Amino acid sequence: MTFFFLETQTPLVDAISQIFGLDSTLGLIFSAFIGAFLIGNIMLISAAIAGPWAKRKITATFGDRIAVNRLGPLGLLIIVADAIRLISKELIIPEGVDRPSWDIAPLILPFSALLGFAVIPMGGNLQLADPETGLVFVFAIASIASLGVVIAGYSSNNKFSMLGGLRAVAMNIAYEIPLIVTAASVVLFAGTLRLSEIVAAQSDPLLIIAGVAIPSWYAFINPFAFILFLVANLAEIGRNPFDIPEAPTELVAGYITEYSSVYFVLFFLGEFLHIFLGGAIITTIFLGGASAPISSLSFIPGFVWFLLKIWSVFLFTQWMRASIPRLRIDQMLEIGWKGLLALSFVNLIFTAILVGVIG
Amino acid sequence: MSAKPSLTKTKIIGVSRDGTLDYDKLEKLLNGRVIYRENHINAPAFVIRPDAVQDTLTLLRDKAGFDHLSCVTAQEYEDRFESIYHLRKYSKPKHELGIVVPSPRDNPWNQSAEPVFKTANWHEREAFDLVGIHYEGHPDLRRILLPDTWQGHPLGLDYDQNKPQIIALKEHENPLADLENDTMFINIGPHHPATHGVLHLKTVLDGEHVLSVDPDIGYLHRCEEQMAQGLNYRYQIMPYPDRWDYASAGLLNEWAYARAAEDLASLEVPEYAQIIRTMGAELCRICAHFLAVGTFALDVYGDFTAIFMYAMRDREIVQSILEDLTGQRMMFNYFRLGGVVWDLPEPRAEFLDKIRTFTDGVPDGIKEYNNLMTSNEIFQLRCIGIGILSPDVARQYGVTGPVARASGIDYDLRRDDPYGYYEHLNWDVITNNGCDVYSRFLVRLGEVEQSAKIIDQCVSLLESWPEEDRILQSNVPRTIKPPLDAEIYRAVEAAKGELGVYIRSDGTQKPARFKIRSPCFSNLSTLSEMAQGGLVPDLIASLGSLDIVLGEVDR
Repeated sequence: MTFFFLETQTPLVDAISQIFGLDSTLGLIFSAFIGAFLIGNIMLISAAIAGPWAKRKITATFGDRIAVNRLGPLGLLIIVADAIRLISKELIIPEGVDRPSWDIAPLILPFSALLGFAVIPMGGNLQLADPETGLVFVFAIASIASLGVVIAGYSSNNKFSMLGGLRAVAMNIAYEIPLIVTAASVVLFAGTLRLSEIVAAQSDPLLIIAGVAIPSWYAFINPFAFILFLVANLAEIGRNPFDIPEAPTELVAGYITEYSSVYFVLFFLGEFLHIFLGGAIITTIFLGGASAPISSLSFIPGFVWFLLKIWSVFLFTQWMRASIPRLRIDQMLEIGWKGLLALSFVNLIFTAILVGVIG
Repeated sequence: MSAKPSLTKTKIIGVSRDGTLDYDKLEKLLNGRVIYRENHINAPAFVIRPDAVQDTLTLLRDKAGFDHLSCVTAQEYEDRFESIYHLRKYSKPKHELGIVVPSPRDNPWNQSAEPVFKTANWHEREAFDLVGIHYEGHPDLRRILLPDTWQGHPLGLDYDQNKPQIIALKEHENPLADLENDTMFINIGPHHPATHGVLHLKTVLDGEHVLSVDPDIGYLHRCEEQMAQGLNYRYQIMPYPDRWDYASAGLLNEWAYARAAEDLASLEVPEYAQIIRTMGAELCRICAHFLAVGTFALDVYGDFTAIFMYAMRDREIVQSILEDLTGQRMMFNYFRLGGVVWDLPEPRAEFLDKIRTFTDGVPDGIKEYNNLMTSNEIFQLRCIGIGILSPDVARQYGVTGPVARASGIDYDLRRDDPYGYYEHLNWDVITNNGCDVYSRFLVRLGEVEQSAKIIDQCVSLLESWPEEDRILQSNVPRTIKPPLDAEIYRAVEAAKGELGVYIRSDGTQKPARFKIRSPCFSNLSTLSEMAQGGLVPDLIASLGSLDIVLGEVDR
């Protein structure tokens, strides 16, 4: 059945309603729920593999270690063990926390990340919705996460959390603008905000070297914007060198300090979903979405390519985490405002000129 | 009285033509303040009145060049209390002088040395805490190692060890209240990922800027000094130094005790044992420096990432060598008074080869660290110009070891006050004029390379050492009873700096007073100088660059 979704071109929700014969409005809503469940679970499974297992393995490889290898093949069953461990821990509610905001904060983070996936084309018809303003939507949704961080920092009644929350706010503005302005340069090329069309615009071959067609991914057309976006994205998902709001050695994990058990899991999950959402955005607007890099490989379903690409971005973030020091908050703001912002506008103007001259 | 050392290049008084100290001239300089002269084994000591401390120390600092107050020892006799200020010169550590300040038993007091030497601040607090002498004019005479509510002074003669200390939880709470302005009071530690142990920093922040830091130490205090006073020289004290700086610098600590006790009891150490000692000590130094590099990376990078694990991986090789040599990974207990406990493990050639392989790989390893860290631009952003400690301030605080050498102070006891086999080997003292976190890091990396060089030469010597000359211990009597009232202060260059031991003998086989001069203790007292005005991450980086081990700070 999964393969059917990957092959067909009918939108996901319609396809589901066709299979189950649900044609009424209620049926469509039900199908939409099933579709959302499907997409949500794909991402949750990704995060579940990434969090307890892949991250450990990757970090260990960078640090010359072995990491989890006792439970199951390659230690994969640690995922189950960790799930049981994390959920069965006691939820400690510190004195003086500001409820209910303290309880809401952990929900916002995974919620915002999951919602973003609703408009991401994952290959075939695996896309819940394809609104005209898809790119704006996905950025708007992803930014909600900072709200959760600030609420958590503020309501925890802990000075370390408070500092972490404040750092998150200060950082947020410094990287969001360059992020979106850089994305806007892609929109200039594609001439649309609809994500499926941005992907489609990257399908033509850019040039052919020795019989191998290089696709016209925006990462190849405008590598400068790609790198800029990659850096700003590291700040968006809060990984080294920009893991400033958490900064374990300074702020004892910042806004997460007071959270335990399920609430902690939600934060943890939200962070990993966020890395994947960042990866999905990069994949969609710079790496040709779910398409194969060379046409001779296109017999492999697009969904596989999509997963491969977002996992590559995940690997990149872990690589950075393992080898790059953390910046200080003032240095980060300086880089954000004086460096990234200026560069992103330069990039936008040059792209506009380029598009104006060529187009 | 100025707190700053005078920088004028006046002629230094008290040095005779051949470069040795002329104590008569020094006594003349002090102009009648010296009541009489005592003879300690390391150097003569002047006995002065309790109200003449500041004048005497100022004169000695400004006119005679004694710019290093390395240690303050306090002790109680049957008839009096006594503070001893052990003075040295940074430029010539062999020039030593003790200043002994007796005070009456019923009212133990003397003038504080804090206005002359900043380092006296903490040392006198410790003396007050453990022995109970009051220092007049001390700006902040609080307990330092024990909690504020402690009853009595544990190293005093009339202290009842069996009396339980009852401390109400309320009185012992960490302060949480904010000050009455826009600043934020925050407790960094005692449980915090970057404090390298149980260190508590009472920090006042303005936004993210550090206004003041007050390190609160003593969480790991075991009163090692008192323990040593209950044990005999010959067999029982040696295992304890391993527990001061337990981050694998054990042999360096053991040497500090061994050096003091051997000189006190006039024991010889065979040359062969000296070479093994030197090699073992340098292996320990490499271990300790790798740990310092790794944990500093942890502080700046933020996670148990590649660099930390690389440092641990390299340190592990040295640890296994030390394990082969001593049979232990952490608490070596390998030195004995008059030598070492056993010879190199068999097969000897294989063991020496193992060390060779390691030392040969060190330069490449250092290159890897340089590629990963020192040449990384973000790392430089985080480290260059951070945690500045100017040489003058460093001298004021009695800073030693890599921290002092990174402030341009060329002070290394291995070269300047030679012991062991160092003077026969070819190696360099690494210094750096950067005065910042970055240069401390570079100095440590440089020292690892130099240590490898020393080890290499030791291995060559050991390889060719004739089998019949392998004497491990000199002839040491079964019970050691140093002469009555003999006093000695001796220091070695440990991984963190000048690790000194003061011992006073009362003619029995146990020391009457055993005082440890911990380099981390003095180095840590500079933290507030370094961190003030910086951001919280700078505070963490500065702390990491000091490379403290709380077991040695608190003893």
